[in-house]
Amino acid sequence: MSDQDAYIALISSLPGSERLFVAKQPPLSRLRLDRRLKALTPEDAKVLKVMEHALNWSAYDMDVTDAQAVLRCKQALAEIPQPSLRRLFLERMDLRTVVAALRLRGQGGNPLSGAYGFGRWSRHIPANWGDPDFRLSTAMPWIKEARQLLEAEDPLGLERLLLSVSHKQLKRHAARHLFDFEAVAIYVLIWNIFDRWSQSNAQNAAARFEKLAQQAMSNVADFDFERVSA
Amino acid sequence: MNELVLTLGWLGIYAPMALGAAASAVGCSIAGMASIGAMTETDGGYGRFVGVSAFPSTMVIYGIVIMFTLNREVTPENAGGLFGIGILSGIALMYCGIWQGRACAAAINATKEKPEIFGLALAPAAIIEGFGVFAFVFALVISAGIS
Repeated sequence: MSDQDAYIALISSLPGSERLFVAKQPPLSRLRLDRRLKALTPEDAKVLKVMEHALNWSAYDMDVTDAQAVLRCKQALAEIPQPSLRRLFLERMDLRTVVAALRLRGQGGNPLSGAYGFGRWSRHIPANWGDPDFRLSTAMPWIKEARQLLEAEDPLGLERLLLSVSHKQLKRHAARHLFDFEAVAIYVLIWNIFDRWSQSNAQNAAARFEKLAQQAMSNVADFDFERVSA
Repeated sequence: MNELVLTLGWLGIYAPMALGAAASAVGCSIAGMASIGAMTETDGGYGRFVGVSAFPSTMVIYGIVIMFTLNREVTPENAGGLFGIGILSGIALMYCGIWQGRACAAAINATKEKPEIFGLALAPAAIIEGFGVFAFVFALVISAGIS
């Protein structure tokens, strides 16, 4: 367990994580956040970097294999000494394993071996492959909704659900940490969720703009310019 | 043997002052760090933050008063009483000061987001202050029974 008063000034200098989701403008840019995070000790900064590297999808190549992703998670876990952060990391991996299994099954795939993914459900999932919710609806109440969103081919809705579940997990852990390194790490992970959330909104807006533009252009294509000019 | 007992007596006289000073130093530094952090994030209300971060300084005042109350000629007969009251009241003040600093830091961190909860956010720190006052007052009451 880290020193519980290690980062009082740092935590106090950050806007409340709740404000991230209600503000019209981001109250803290990544640039400013990184500037504040310079107060971390080299050891803590390394742990945070390892966690972010393993949890951020942007740090993965598009063609990364399951084995490579699992290996990266195992390596990251070995470098995280704080019990709370290890639990948090494993919970996130459980979530990803379940969602990946739902996607694989949706595409008609089967788990390659007796274990699938990473974490405590890696053997439970293949053993319950035929059950719609892998018999995990008690441990993970959100799984039914996630499955329905996948079946409805609503990736944005699924993305939001997963971000919301991850956010709740982080808030639950944050309640036990006020001014220690764990509090800083949890804040940064919440900031990453906020960033993904705002990007998904932007992507949604961009997709809608694209659709509207195509509709508008199709009307223009039908327009007979020669008759107008005549 | 008598020398050891007398030493413990002197230790008891000075302990509330020393431990109270340590409590105030740690408590004020914890709350002070929070107020400095909050100042970088907010555009006003700096005076309130600094005022709150000085809350734990009362512990050293209680310690000084207890020290003066216990201060008397140390004899083998009264040394045990002086040691017990002094050390235990000092430890109580030390815990109150450090945890009051943490409560003040949490209050500062919360009020930078919601200034309207300033008064309520200070309630935990005020309650801890009350426990420190208990330790202080009853140390004075008990010390009256030492010859």
